[in-house]
Amino acid sequence: MLARAIEETGLPTVTVALIKEHAQRVKPPRTLWVPFPFGFALGNPDDPPFQQKVLSAALGLLSENDTPVLAEFTEDADAPPVLLQASAAQADAANSDGDPADEVTALRGYYERWVDEHEGRTMVGLSGVPQRQFRGLVRYLQAFADGEDAAYDRMPDGVEPVRFLRLASDDLKAFFMEARFSQRPNDRDDELQRWFWSETAMGNLIASVASRLVEQGDAQAANGIAR
Amino acid sequence: MPRLEDLPDLTRQGMLNFPAFDHDDSPCAAMSKPLNEAKIALVTTAGLHLRDDTPFSSGDQTYRVIPSSTPASGIIQSHMSIGFDRTGIMRDVNVTFPIDRLREMVKRGEIGAVTEDFYSFMGAQRSPRRIEEETGPEVGRLLLEEGADAAFLTPT
Repeated sequence: MLARAIEETGLPTVTVALIKEHAQRVKPPRTLWVPFPFGFALGNPDDPPFQQKVLSAALGLLSENDTPVLAEFTEDADAPPVLLQASAAQADAANSDGDPADEVTALRGYYERWVDEHEGRTMVGLSGVPQRQFRGLVRYLQAFADGEDAAYDRMPDGVEPVRFLRLASDDLKAFFMEARFSQRPNDRDDELQRWFWSETAMGNLIASVASRLVEQGDAQAANGIAR
Repeated sequence: MPRLEDLPDLTRQGMLNFPAFDHDDSPCAAMSKPLNEAKIALVTTAGLHLRDDTPFSSGDQTYRVIPSSTPASGIIQSHMSIGFDRTGIMRDVNVTFPIDRLREMVKRGEIGAVTEDFYSFMGAQRSPRRIEEETGPEVGRLLLEEGADAAFLTPT
């Protein structure tokens, strides 16, 4: 859809598509369908040669002008399994009686090592709260989840509390995942998801924040928090 | 996941029922030079943006500019969609937004150049009329103005 809009201005496009059935209906001008999950358009993270193969295959379609062109990238990457959703993992929640703030403290060294070893790359930073202040952020989320009339004095100006809760939850999830990359470098992505949602108190807390949002009529804001 | 037959029923139906807009044909603009002389733009619908830019909100059909010289560490994601695994992008943003790969292709002479600016939208939109009619074409025009020869689009 976006590809069509851009092509119509006169700029040639090529698109990577994850769902062939949609590409067949929308008909972007040039499409490379790839057999990877959402979030993995070029195959595998940290695998430049493989990413390059997909990228080169896509750019190669730019010379084709008998549109629509729908090519298939058939080489399968070592794609991770289908995302384990929070609802599935919660069922066997076990070791999550701890304090999420203590988990933050325990994981901080791993998180900082991850960032140091990756030239500062991190997906933490949406809420504007520095990770060194995450213990306080956790207390605010706990108060909100417990139904208290919670306030947080570091909320950025002009950001609605409901939106802030969403951004803060995404930051905390990213902090935990990136710390875990460093702590357990060989874990697969489904193992990471299972760990977060089943074994950490933070997974419980974020699920509780989502439930509370739904209870107070903010289902849209809750959508996607607990996954 | 996108091999729909491999998905659990509920997920597969959700995917198939997601609004897709049927078309009978495609527009076509032909590239006017070979790839190794072409200036390539990167456009994504993965909800990425600069670290200090405004995060996307639900139903947001605006776009964010990401200068192509941005280090990968300067990029963050605020996609509002549910149900996709963010760990790949946390590990390596190039898996969705191959900013480093394109710069390497320029160095190797496989593409001529990259545009000064790359662009990002939030995908998984149920009713993306404004992108279709306004913000999408605007990005096309901005890229043409800076001399782009083609755009490479990546999904979430």
